[in-house]
Amino acid sequence: MDKKFSGKIWKFGDDIDTDTIIPGKRGTIPTIEEMKKYAFELLKPEFGSTVQAGDILVAGTNFGCGSSREQAATVLSYNGVRCIIAKSYARIFFRNAFNSGILLLQCDGIQEVCAGGDIVTVDVDGQTVSVGGKSFPVGVIPENLFHIVANGGLIEDTKKRIAEGLVKLEVQPLTMEQCRKPGYTMAEKLLKKNAGKEHVEPGDIVITKPDMFMIHDIYTTYLVDTMNKIGADVIDDPDKVTIIWDHCMPTAVAKNDSAHYDAGLELAQRYGIKKLHIGEGICHSIMHEARYAKPGEIATATDSHTTTYGGAGNFCSGIGTAEMAAALITGELWFKVPEAIKIVLNGHLPDGIMSKDVILKILGDIKADGGQYKSLEFTGEAAHEMSMDQRFTVANMALEAGAKCGLFEVDEKTAQYYDMPLSEIDWVCIDEEAKYEKVLTYHVNELEPQLSCPQGVDNVHPIQEVLGTRMDEVYLGSCTNGSLEDMAIAAKILAGKKVAKGLRFIVVPATNRVFREAIRLGYIKTFIEAGGVISHPCCGLCCGMPYGLMTDDERILSTANRNFIGRQGTQKTLSYLCSPAVAAATAITGAVTDPRDLL
Amino acid sequence: MSTFIETMLGAAAGSVVTVEPDYIVINDGGCHAAVDDIAAVAAPEKVLVIYDHDVPTGRPEAAAVLRKNLAFAEKFGCRYIQAEGIGYQYMVNEVVKAGDIIIVGGLHSSIYGAVGALGINVSIPELARVTETGRYSVVVPETKYATLAGNLPAGVSVMDAALAFLQMAGDLKKTAVEFYCPTLDQHQKQVLCSMACITGAYTAGITLEEPAEALHLDLSQVTPMVMMPCESAAAQAQAAICERAGLAGMELQAGQIGGYTGGTIEELRKAAAYLEGKELALGFRLTVCPATSRDYIQAMEEGIITRFIDYGAQISAAGDHSIVIQGAGAMGPKERLITTGLYTFAGAMGCEDAEVYTASAESVMAASVSKRI
Repeated sequence: MDKKFSGKIWKFGDDIDTDTIIPGKRGTIPTIEEMKKYAFELLKPEFGSTVQAGDILVAGTNFGCGSSREQAATVLSYNGVRCIIAKSYARIFFRNAFNSGILLLQCDGIQEVCAGGDIVTVDVDGQTVSVGGKSFPVGVIPENLFHIVANGGLIEDTKKRIAEGLVKLEVQPLTMEQCRKPGYTMAEKLLKKNAGKEHVEPGDIVITKPDMFMIHDIYTTYLVDTMNKIGADVIDDPDKVTIIWDHCMPTAVAKNDSAHYDAGLELAQRYGIKKLHIGEGICHSIMHEARYAKPGEIATATDSHTTTYGGAGNFCSGIGTAEMAAALITGELWFKVPEAIKIVLNGHLPDGIMSKDVILKILGDIKADGGQYKSLEFTGEAAHEMSMDQRFTVANMALEAGAKCGLFEVDEKTAQYYDMPLSEIDWVCIDEEAKYEKVLTYHVNELEPQLSCPQGVDNVHPIQEVLGTRMDEVYLGSCTNGSLEDMAIAAKILAGKKVAKGLRFIVVPATNRVFREAIRLGYIKTFIEAGGVISHPCCGLCCGMPYGLMTDDERILSTANRNFIGRQGTQKTLSYLCSPAVAAATAITGAVTDPRDLL
Repeated sequence: MSTFIETMLGAAAGSVVTVEPDYIVINDGGCHAAVDDIAAVAAPEKVLVIYDHDVPTGRPEAAAVLRKNLAFAEKFGCRYIQAEGIGYQYMVNEVVKAGDIIIVGGLHSSIYGAVGALGINVSIPELARVTETGRYSVVVPETKYATLAGNLPAGVSVMDAALAFLQMAGDLKKTAVEFYCPTLDQHQKQVLCSMACITGAYTAGITLEEPAEALHLDLSQVTPMVMMPCESAAAQAQAAICERAGLAGMELQAGQIGGYTGGTIEELRKAAAYLEGKELALGFRLTVCPATSRDYIQAMEEGIITRFIDYGAQISAAGDHSIVIQGAGAMGPKERLITTGLYTFAGAMGCEDAEVYTASAESVMAASVSKRI
């Protein structure tokens, strides 16, 4: 692939979603070769039969939004599309496209002067795109990323790199002084430190060397397949890798789970990975509990809620299986530097109001796409007053706004949690000079308990609007709200009380450590005496595993992070999300109850 | 002298008798099917609706069963019990007294014999009928006696003795079994009685007087036993029983201790004592299911649950996990499970082609170290 090339334009508008690119009903066609002719079949039926190799798509904002369907990128790649120019891209499509061998350029302006059928010229090194004699600037594309595209995608690129004798990227670490240089968002500071860049800005693509990689059991089988396809015998650094069995352990879905269990053991054995956590709890909670994801560092994992450790000032985001395979082998992973939104939390959280209420309120305000590929950066006295567990709750759910990461400033609580000198990590903080896309300010003193209602995480209502809604089941657990503090507040509310007749109350501590402590402190006894059911630490019902699946027209109130349709039962099960305090109060009465009335 | 069953039913063997049971138990296991046929309840105070099987629900269908059972209990004013653990053990601990008659749709209802109560396993239509009328009729069965003498060797459990007895006795053809077993403690008697009907007995009880004529089992000669996999639930009574030694070395993927045979505080104590200084084999999944909430709390207070957690076991909710179609502990294709659960039919613990072997808690714990029988 040349650094300078021209192609014929196919023009599209804003918000082209992955269903428009390839309809969901075509998703089961067994091969991409067969599927590719249905690309854009509803919007531009002629596309599949007339697109030529080398054609270029020009689009508006949010190209590739919707599902995380990888085929949306691969059908374009198989149709010979090697470049897309758009005002902005949906987060997951952006990664999928590059990894499928498509060059994505961000440009605002060309859309107004070009038409379908025009010829656009791309100059990668010159950082411009031109049409009809007019040039427009585009962001920098690092050499390694260009190679991924030029080699036809990530898997092919990795195979080629291995064949040529893998040359590892040399990174000159930044000095503490360079880390402290003002004028950057926290995401920028974390990325530039790891990538060894003195300066970065939103839209730049940086190659990082993540400090920690986490694989969870859902993707072990696919990862084994991809590693086999690439033909990798060794990985970059097994000590930087942990495998955590949490979604499919305890094995519960008979036909599937044992294969994931076995594949995890196979990966561990084949690549010498020693940090194994089999049935010890939820991956994201273990990542900070075991101090794998540290402040000031970068972590990545095969799961969307990887944003959790942002609560400790760690840049962390989820990736797909192909990317994980390549990253394990090369030790490298590219990120686009995100824009950032500053969220100032003023005041003090009143009794009975938890950090879950804060993030639900924010999600209701900015909606599920309000943080699309953004870094949500939290500050303010209420943010600093939050415990580490409360911060992890907020960072965990930042993902539900589409955010790339959710970051808290490092402070003494962070340093104490990690037993690190604050002076080494205090550069992970908000700079007044940093450029934020916008600033949101909340006064948490006035906050009421919040509930996310059926069916969408961003359908958030204050408790007053939902009070008295009957529930059939209450679930306390997940990487969002399965911590010891969450157990503590629920136990305080439930002590000496009984769960409402017929209501199923299910408790799943996030990790073995939480479980042990909750036993020691008597919380588990309180739950059992109240009529609760305790399951072993795991992802459980949060990810739709069989730990309380429900039937038609039943309602569940859960402390987890998603209430998508069908996730906790059938298509007709109604799911609500809330804080542990609201969950416990509701378990007693059987209908949505304000915990402040019981505290 | 009257037999246990004659005393309980108030008539001699061979006579037709009608009794009014003290308790009728309907659960979410198989018995819930009776709810569909019950139009009225003669004595609601005697009917207990217990949620103890699919805990927490592993399928939406299971949740629908709970809704149905709850609505039934509310409509007729029956007691609804949930989150207390396995119904049999809960009843023994909290409800049943000597002299009671309990009607259940379950193979292990003979457990009540250990406390001097009569447990009767009935079909689903019969369960519905008894619930509606409050009456149960039967021809009083004959009794067979069994003497279990001597003391069990170290590492051998009463489960092994029960399996050895069943192997020796063969099909008990609807007779009532009375055990004379003065060396067994109360918990051991419960395990023995609960397993007595697996091969076809009507019920079981305990006699304190040595019978003149009886089957004899010398407990000191009992060796670890295994109940083998079988093809279907209907064939469970014919599942082969053999000595564990014959299977030595067979690779296993998982083990489970739970139920009244492995999840009571007595069994949990033994299992926890066994794991002292040992390490769970990599690639072996161990599930621990406390029988009841009471057992769970007691085990927590004695530090036993924490020791299991440290060992790497998965702690399931209190309840009956001897059949798991989908839920914690389900087994994958061609995997092998060793369990204290009493169902070994294909599909009982997940995949149709997974194999389930019943054995004592001691045998399960030993396997957890070696990944082998």
